[in-house]
Amino acid sequence: MSEHDVVFDAMGSHVRLLIGEPGPGMAPAPAAAEMARKFIVEFDRALSRFKPESELCAFNADPRERVPASELLRAAVRAGIAAAERSGGLVDPTLVGEIETAGYVASRAGVPGAPLGAALEEAPERRPAGPNPAQAWRRFEVDERRGTISRPPGIRFDSGGAGKGLAADLVAEKLRGYSRFIVDCGGDIRIGGANALLTPYEVFVEHPLTGERAFVLKLSSGAVATSGLNVRIWRDERGRYSHHLLDPATGEPAWTGLIGATALGDTAVEAETLAKAALLSGPDGGHEVLAERGGLLVHDDGRIETVGPLAARPRVRIPDLAATR
Amino acid sequence: MATDRPRSVRRPSPALVIWSSIALFGVLFALLTYQLAAGRPAPPRPVVVRKVVKRRVVTTIVPTPGRNSVSTSAAVSSESGALAAAPVTTGAS
Repeated sequence: MSEHDVVFDAMGSHVRLLIGEPGPGMAPAPAAAEMARKFIVEFDRALSRFKPESELCAFNADPRERVPASELLRAAVRAGIAAAERSGGLVDPTLVGEIETAGYVASRAGVPGAPLGAALEEAPERRPAGPNPAQAWRRFEVDERRGTISRPPGIRFDSGGAGKGLAADLVAEKLRGYSRFIVDCGGDIRIGGANALLTPYEVFVEHPLTGERAFVLKLSSGAVATSGLNVRIWRDERGRYSHHLLDPATGEPAWTGLIGATALGDTAVEAETLAKAALLSGPDGGHEVLAERGGLLVHDDGRIETVGPLAARPRVRIPDLAATR
Repeated sequence: MATDRPRSVRRPSPALVIWSSIALFGVLFALLTYQLAAGRPAPPRPVVVRKVVKRRVVTTIVPTPGRNSVSTSAAVSSESGALAAAPVTTGAS
């Protein structure tokens, strides 16, 4: 069994594609990988808020209420709204002004994050995040027939909340029919292919404090995503530690008692949404968020907690011969 | 010529037969009733008491410098062949 393995940088992260044997009449894996790479690069070019020439920036600056939009942008807005609905407003795609105020104005790709341990020592009192009462994301409306998006001018959209997951899902659709594949967009991972059902992939979960392997998942289909504070973290203008996961209720970085969350889902968008929502919900709320699909929570002290189906792993029984004598 | 007279057969009186039957019935009925009353339920099935020993494997996560060591019940799954050459990792990005 051979797989074509491609790694490249896009969307401010690493992207990795593993593609198995093609189905009848399908392009060879290297060609499919190149097609997927071009798609992801185009996705990034169109939907990055850090690129002034992107369609997203043009859309956010457009003074009209109803704006013609590409299929890609419409899909991104739909995914963002779905994530907000699924998370009860915790994963809010309209916090562009707040994230810029927090200091995340330009891409931080390649910029090493501030030490998370030190940030945790200085962080304010832990508390769960909450939704923004304004719920501006509800003002977005996607019209597929007209090919437009409408919203009150001035409300900006950020694809960052569900962008990588959406890219992974869209590429996975293109790879349907290959024997097995993995699409890894910066840790938002989608898995597919009939062969993967027989021989599951192993996915390592990185510990946000140590960077070491914290857990190993064996996945044959679906998706997994991780959200954490350890990568995009910095000191703001006032010298306070800041990061990219905002509490929609306050517009400030959320310090909830969790520093990482990994979620399983049917799609990468779903997994990414659940992971972010779990982290923002704090230890108790995060447990509830992950209870159905399963996942991991990493607490401030580094403790790892398995939740839902992952916690219900079969116990290993080793007969104690001495006790039976 | 002598003629044999048929021997006369004494037949028990009907009252005797009736009372004897009733008495026999009563005795048998009393015996059965006694046996039923004295009967015991079926013996219970023997219960086998077994000692079950469970052992949970605990994996220790590498402690963070400057922080306390923390143990969790996170298990490491077994190795499997025919997988990707390099591990696929999910983490914050």
